[in-house]
Amino acid sequence: MEPLRELAKEKLRGKKVIAVMSAKGGVGKSVISALISLSLPSSATLIDLDIHTMGIAKLFGIENVSFEVSKEGIEPAKIKNVNLISLAGVVRDRYVILPGRNQYNVMKELIAYSNIKTDYVVFDLPPGLGDEILVLEELTDYKPIIITTPSKVSIKVVKYLIDYLYEKNKKPIMVVNMSYFTCGSEKVKPFGSYEGDVNLPIDPNIEEFIGKIQNYEGEVKKVIEKELIPLL
Amino acid sequence: MHEWSIAYSVVKTLTDNFDKKVLKVTLVLPQFSFLDLEILKEAFDELKKENKVTQDAELKIKIAEPIFKCRNCGKEFKLSDVEKQLNEVRSQYGEEYPLHLMPELFPAFLKCPYCGSHDIEAKGQEIYIESVEVEESGAVTRTS
Repeated sequence: MEPLRELAKEKLRGKKVIAVMSAKGGVGKSVISALISLSLPSSATLIDLDIHTMGIAKLFGIENVSFEVSKEGIEPAKIKNVNLISLAGVVRDRYVILPGRNQYNVMKELIAYSNIKTDYVVFDLPPGLGDEILVLEELTDYKPIIITTPSKVSIKVVKYLIDYLYEKNKKPIMVVNMSYFTCGSEKVKPFGSYEGDVNLPIDPNIEEFIGKIQNYEGEVKKVIEKELIPLL
Repeated sequence: MHEWSIAYSVVKTLTDNFDKKVLKVTLVLPQFSFLDLEILKEAFDELKKENKVTQDAELKIKIAEPIFKCRNCGKEFKLSDVEKQLNEVRSQYGEEYPLHLMPELFPAFLKCPYCGSHDIEAKGQEIYIESVEVEESGAVTRTS
């Protein structure tokens, strides 16, 4: 019997679980996970399952911080309505190199040993089709949000993930990041044209909010609030 | 404080898997997590009162001494061979150090004392319930 697995399942039971995923790296999953969490109607727990690069902590500017530990587990960092859980709060600013089996178990431990109390739980997954998807499948029924860019390479790679999810009877919400920018009254699409369920604009200003993403109220967040949140 | 999470996980596992009274549960813990067994037992004794399945359960704890194997050079080693490394982690992070909170992080913090590789595996590093004794019509049934 695996107490760890039971505990992790228990932590997610009865909650609305959203998984932000992509088979491709560098498409903006972490920024979108953060903005979805910040846009939800009530408080949300945002769990960074990218246990190697821990980008979420960097986005919110909480690097090199140790999370408190209470009777109920590792206490998330609270930023606005977001309760943030990241391995960065356990290892601080240190590299994490792990063989495959340990990756799988660390992801489970991170969920099992954290204090998760909110109705919404958002997972930011690392790129690929590996342990992170298998762990989530074993623990909970999740709503997948697939992130791609309009580039042909990204769309072709993401197709593998879509095929897999359909085989599992899960219908993902397709979010196309960096779709267009507005020039005067015209929509310019520099990276190609691809229609998703939600198409997000390019906002170069977002770079200024790395480390304080909680303060970003620009165009990308507005589209997420208006078009993506109602689909959840 | 982390011990409470583990105690809760044991109580939860028992209540999910058994409907008869549990008399004894044997839990195996990895040595390098250095959990405080007094706190763990205290937490278990407190949490077990919440339901009939576990209210009379006795918690037995076994500590597993892990055997590490390096997948790069193939050599085996024990915790005592990497004790200095472990002490450095504990002194750097304090009481709630990463291997205490998440034992599965060991390859990120410990390396092979022979070749320096982090590609190591361990036998006996998992937390698991080894056996459960339940009351059945006056008799005792042991489940492994």
